[in-house]
Amino acid sequence: MVKVVIAQNILAANDSIADDIRQSLAIRNIHTINIMSSPGAGKTTLLERTIERLHGQLDIGVIDGDIETSVDAERILAVGGETVQINTRGACHLEAHMIRQALDQLTMASGGLLFIENIGNLICPAHWDLGEDIRVVMVCTTEGDDKPEKYPQMFASSQVMIINKIDLQPYVDYDVAKVKQRALAINSHLRIFEISCRTDSGLDTWCEWLVTFARGTA
Amino acid sequence: MHELAIAQSIIDAVGEKAAECNATQIKSVHLRIGEASGIFTDSLTFSFEMLASFDPVLNGARLLIDEVPHRARCRQCNSVFAVANFVPQCPACQTWDTEIVSGDELQILEMEIETEPHSPPPDGSETIVDEQKSTGEKSIHG
Repeated sequence: MVKVVIAQNILAANDSIADDIRQSLAIRNIHTINIMSSPGAGKTTLLERTIERLHGQLDIGVIDGDIETSVDAERILAVGGETVQINTRGACHLEAHMIRQALDQLTMASGGLLFIENIGNLICPAHWDLGEDIRVVMVCTTEGDDKPEKYPQMFASSQVMIINKIDLQPYVDYDVAKVKQRALAINSHLRIFEISCRTDSGLDTWCEWLVTFARGTA
Repeated sequence: MHELAIAQSIIDAVGEKAAECNATQIKSVHLRIGEASGIFTDSLTFSFEMLASFDPVLNGARLLIDEVPHRARCRQCNSVFAVANFVPQCPACQTWDTEIVSGDELQILEMEIETEPHSPPPDGSETIVDEQKSTGEKSIHG
């Protein structure tokens, strides 16, 4: 029997592709956001509203991850966004090699903003670096307000948290202050946005921040 | 279910290394997994054994896992403390001005393999051949 030292990260193959992606996007001056949430929190709706608002200001591309269908990509196209759909056929998260492939089909201008809409899942996507610059985790008032403590890794590895459907808060037992406090206890550097994609509440602040982020000044 | 994908990544990495070393059998794979890495080690072992069973070189390989506790260091009082529930707050001075020192490991440390007795020398095999020779000599003299 022979011992062979390996000493490498289990996800080294993924991480090396992710680093290549990050480098090649940086050369093109494209800033990238990996957006993650549980299913139905409102990722696609947020991207629709964001593309509409930033039309003419920022070139926005979207890589849309879904287990099946191209429904989300069609919604992005309908509001004038550039998009590539990835269907994972059952896989619960996106991996860097899928993004590399999708990028071959995405002809974005330099200086643009690229969103990667991950599979709706608060667990698995946290492990896979996709070459993004930042991670955004989205929660919403129609789900339990215990998400940060239940899925801490997602909140620990994100830089931004969005609380969506804030307009519904008076009608549901969702404690916004508790969610913010628990999320900040796990990750004190989280930048938090409270928004409603239905009433547009908070979207101005979100979009202003995106513009500074895309210009590299956030 | 991400343990299945993690297990596949381990299989790919050790499979590649085993081919470089002309391994005929991988006997064990030794991992270091952090408490905060989000891996359920029972699921990982189950997924690994299942995937390994499809590969003659890996079939029957044991997964050895060192679990590493989630710990942080306080930048104020310099104490190292156990992080409970992902909240890196110093229990002594209550500050969040802390840095994680361990717990997010997801590493393959090493593996144990069998090789063909007369296989061509693989990478780094000089030591392997020497080891076999010296073992043989020892057994003769012993």
